[in-house]
Amino acid sequence: MRHAHVLRFFWAAWLLAVAQPALAGPREVTLYFTVEKDGTLIGGLTEDNFRLYEDGEPRKFRLETPETPAAIALLVEYSQASWLYMEDIYRAMEGFMHQAPEGHWYALATFSKDLEIRVDFTKQRGRIANAFADLPRPFWNEINTYDAVYEMLERMGQLRGRRILIVIGSGLDTFSSMRLEDVRRKAEAVNVVVYAVGVGSLLRTVYEPYLSQPARMDLLQAEAFFQMLAQKTGGQAWFPRFEAAFRDVMRGVMQSIAFHYKLVYESNLPEDGKFHRIRLEAFRFEGDRKTTFTVRVREGWRTG
Amino acid sequence: MHETAAGLPQSPGRSPRSYLALLLSLLLAALPVIQASNQQAVPRPALPPEVLAAMNEALLRPYLELFEQAARLEFTPAQIQEMRRYLEQARSNCVRRWRERARQLERDLEKAQAELRARTAKLKPEERRELHCQIQNLRLLKSQADTLAEHAVPVAFENRLAKLELIEKWPQDEKKIKEELASGAYINRRWGDVLDIGFRQVGQGQEEDIKIGQETVEQMKLAGLMPPEVKNEVIQQYVARLTREVARHSDVRVPVRVTVLNSKEINAFALPGGFIYVERGLLEAVEDEAQLAGVIAHELAHVAARHGHRLMRRSTIASLIYQAAQLAAMILTGGVASLGTYYALQYGFYGLGLVLSLDLLGVSREFELEADQLGIQYAWHAGYDPKGFIRFFDKMATQEGYVQGISWFRTHPPFYRRMVEAMREISFLPPKEKLVTQTDAFQQMKRELEKVVAEAKEEEEGRPSLIAPEQGCPAPEKLEFKPGERRIETVCDMPTS
Repeated sequence: MRHAHVLRFFWAAWLLAVAQPALAGPREVTLYFTVEKDGTLIGGLTEDNFRLYEDGEPRKFRLETPETPAAIALLVEYSQASWLYMEDIYRAMEGFMHQAPEGHWYALATFSKDLEIRVDFTKQRGRIANAFADLPRPFWNEINTYDAVYEMLERMGQLRGRRILIVIGSGLDTFSSMRLEDVRRKAEAVNVVVYAVGVGSLLRTVYEPYLSQPARMDLLQAEAFFQMLAQKTGGQAWFPRFEAAFRDVMRGVMQSIAFHYKLVYESNLPEDGKFHRIRLEAFRFEGDRKTTFTVRVREGWRTG
Repeated sequence: MHETAAGLPQSPGRSPRSYLALLLSLLLAALPVIQASNQQAVPRPALPPEVLAAMNEALLRPYLELFEQAARLEFTPAQIQEMRRYLEQARSNCVRRWRERARQLERDLEKAQAELRARTAKLKPEERRELHCQIQNLRLLKSQADTLAEHAVPVAFENRLAKLELIEKWPQDEKKIKEELASGAYINRRWGDVLDIGFRQVGQGQEEDIKIGQETVEQMKLAGLMPPEVKNEVIQQYVARLTREVARHSDVRVPVRVTVLNSKEINAFALPGGFIYVERGLLEAVEDEAQLAGVIAHELAHVAARHGHRLMRRSTIASLIYQAAQLAAMILTGGVASLGTYYALQYGFYGLGLVLSLDLLGVSREFELEADQLGIQYAWHAGYDPKGFIRFFDKMATQEGYVQGISWFRTHPPFYRRMVEAMREISFLPPKEKLVTQTDAFQQMKRELEKVVAEAKEEEEGRPSLIAPEQGCPAPEKLEFKPGERRIETVCDMPTS
């Protein structure tokens, strides 16, 4: 009889252990974000200008100076199938060369069928342009964007400090082994800010009326993919329609990086693999008048 | 009976195609035997063991020692010839062996990457880590095998062969030098008027090169090719002072601008018009001031003789910078026998010495020999021991077989000729008392350099990497060669006695 009680006790304890998520100690969560008002980046705000909520609960936090240098990686679509909008890709790279300030770490990776690391992080940004200018003609027709973004997020997720991924591509995907869902979960799990520069928008505007419904759906999905990446990670997505606009877009990317805030808070939520939503409000009182700002911050976080 | 197209009778089933098939299958069957014979160790040289041991020992001595002792070494011409045959055969076997190894590693790498790609979505964390570790190790091994095959092994053998040639020929050459000294004929050699350094005509119109140099520097900076400067006043001022001192005793007639760059590369280079760049790695590698003065004097000689100007006549700066950019890209993508990849993996940098156009630097076989001669004269004239140049060259060729970035080694005038010509020039220089080898200022510079190196190391350790090592892997395998520590015999499976 006593044995049965003991067994029941252990059985109940085991059930509880399985049912309850592991309670981990407090974990530090870091957010990199920008603050805007009518499209203008706002700097100089202090802790009093923000309010942070995690899964709807207010959280205490502190602002810190973002790490400089940041690790900035360019991920560029480079496939035979990209030839229709290759000029856009070149313009984007040119814009990067003109706008990227010295002092950060820069890396270059390209993808078609596979991801290829062309230049590992270097402070000599000229090496990025040189390597890109002399890439051999693309061999594959595939545009495996999901695989490439996933792998880059995974690689960058292992780094420390401020990490930024700039994706230059159409957003289309041909034969990735990863699904959109896999990339979304990865973007939620790693603290990498993604800026996406969509190419081929002008072409799309011209030819869209002649496209079939599935083709239009593909294009919409491509744009939505970049929007999702930006939204999940606190970055931004652009779809310039004119060649000249690429330089402005790259200026926008670099300005956003320059205007980054860094916020750190301790979370007591369990590392249960679930998504924990973040809401960050920014405001300023000028006399009695409250001005609210738009905050570009990652949507939340998850472990795993 | 069938008939062939030429009307010859042919038995059934014996068409030309079937003969070809038979031949191919025989070849295929013989392939493993051919491969095995290729990979066999080189047969020992047909020399008595004591002669082989003595010769091997002599070939490891520094050049300066060999210059002194060559006349007393008693090897017969036949023995030297046998050793040369053996070294040449060993070199070719060893290079072939490492190329094959590199190809095999490449195949293994592709296989591992294909497996990773195919299973990536379903891999458990420990399986993924194991595959990452495997790929990481294969990459390192491949780059090491490439470097051995294309750089370390050929340089090591060339150095041995040069020393063998020195043992064979130097006694005769030395006699001729003594005869020339006795007869006074040595004065008639090219640039024999060493007492007129600074007043003779070496390179007229050096000032015309200043604009080219300035433009080149600007374009290199714009292209992002220039490493950052060393931010240490003591080091910058020391190198500038030393360079100006040598320049003052040279045929350089333009103001010299000196910059120390914060790069690990063991290199110094001169751009037309007196722009001298010394890389941090060179300052780390030199052991005394005479060695450093020797290297800087060599670079100043390129400026004085306007080598850059003479080689650039048919090229524009833009095209040369473009070449540099192309080469950089090749290196970055592993196009130059993966040396760049090796550097990137080992050191996290790509050598500037591999990127710069040789035309721009005024480097050619002929001009290198001239720069060696003039450089030795300038170092001597400035009061430095001119043998410092030979000592440094020896160190680089013997111990730093990997470091091929340095422009000196890129054009490859035969080592023997270079060393003999350098020694010849030193023998002809008027004797001078109290030649400087080492100074306190040099030692102080070295102490400051330690701080800069520590800072650079710290930054390097904090450098993010997309090909960062997978954590928790077993220590990577290393191929069995480390310049300066192990001899080439270990790598090439050669007998030492």
